[in-house]
Amino acid sequence: MLQTRLGLGALRQGRLLFAVKSFSTTSVAKIFPPPPQTIKGTVNDAAVFPHHSKLHGSYHWDFERIIAIAMVPQVMIPLFTGTSHPLMDAALACTLITHAHLGFESCVIDYFPARRFKKLSPLMHWILRGCTVLTLIGVYEFNTNDIGLTEGIKKLWKS
Amino acid sequence: MFSRRIQVLSPFLKHFVNRNARMMATEANISATSANPQSQGENLKTFEIYRWNPEKPEVKPKLQKYTVDLTKCGPMVLDALIKIKNEQDPTLTFRRSCREGICGSCAMNINGSNTLACICNIKKDNKPTKIYPLPHCFIVKDLVPDLTYFYKQYKSIEPWLQNDNIPKDKEFYQSRADRAKLDGLYECILCACCSTSCPSYWWNSEEYLGPAVLMQAYRWIIDSRDQATAKRLDVMQNSMSVYRCHTIMNCARTCPKGLNPGLAIAKVKALMATA
Repeated sequence: MLQTRLGLGALRQGRLLFAVKSFSTTSVAKIFPPPPQTIKGTVNDAAVFPHHSKLHGSYHWDFERIIAIAMVPQVMIPLFTGTSHPLMDAALACTLITHAHLGFESCVIDYFPARRFKKLSPLMHWILRGCTVLTLIGVYEFNTNDIGLTEGIKKLWKS
Repeated sequence: MFSRRIQVLSPFLKHFVNRNARMMATEANISATSANPQSQGENLKTFEIYRWNPEKPEVKPKLQKYTVDLTKCGPMVLDALIKIKNEQDPTLTFRRSCREGICGSCAMNINGSNTLACICNIKKDNKPTKIYPLPHCFIVKDLVPDLTYFYKQYKSIEPWLQNDNIPKDKEFYQSRADRAKLDGLYECILCACCSTSCPSYWWNSEEYLGPAVLMQAYRWIIDSRDQATAKRLDVMQNSMSVYRCHTIMNCARTCPKGLNPGLAIAKVKALMATA
């Protein structure tokens, strides 16, 4: 396919001269090859739990649920009344960005586990924090020196 | 008056619901009518089975084809596997024991679904049946997955009764209502079909306990005879053991016994939030 696309169809007969490996043969396993199996302790020992802390456990889960539930009135009130208020915009911005941050943090924890990616995992966490801070700064700028979040979203349908 | 009648009927209703759930779990492998016309009394079926030999690790795994005459074979996939091993290829390796869905040994991926070979009907069509070991597991050989970490995690939840006041000389009685809470939990046969169908368990199987182990943890947490409830809930207070569950619900869909580990995990989360 690549040969045809480059106008080298005539060379298709002489494959020995043109050994192009197409991307489709790339194996996903070569990107992050699975590590060899390692078992801590013997096969008869119980698995060890990570350090237990409510801040990482149920308090974190409660916080996620509170943020998700708090977003509902902050979205519904401007939606149905059609009005916008600077404080409401600020509150919506905080909850929305926190919600997005927690969601992406969950993705980072899942796909870049700390036990396997010793350096990449903290790097991804800090990249995410940097993006979140930039988003907060941007939305703050939008809310103070521009029309604000609610009016901005409303403008998508009326501009 | 009515509640008593409902109580009398509830075992039959439960059995009906569980049977329906099992049928749904394996519906992809059941065909009511035969689509293959019989020729000369033969009904040939091809099985493509995953093969890998640890004695020759440089040889890549492959799908090996076997043909079985269904007129001389039982109706379940395990019957076909045993027939292949007896007559065609004695080196084919798989686990099996009770052959009736109780021991959980013959768990494997059949036509893309994690299920038990002994309770999975051979699909009566012309397409070959693909059989793989449980996904995202290290493989001992052929269809034998390495479940070492699965059992280590099961041991870590201390699945036994912990009570300082176990009565001597008599049984440890439990009310009917408390016993009914364990229905749908004690039936788990630890076949690992649900855990190995969970994407979260694929990514983080060393730290996330998985639906099977969490369902058994819930079983001991709500046992009214157990005193270690607070301790059992406290050790799971971290971001990995329970909270890697994202309610994907593959576990409930694939359970060959028709159980619902996802529901048990949701209740564990609620208990951890309120305890």
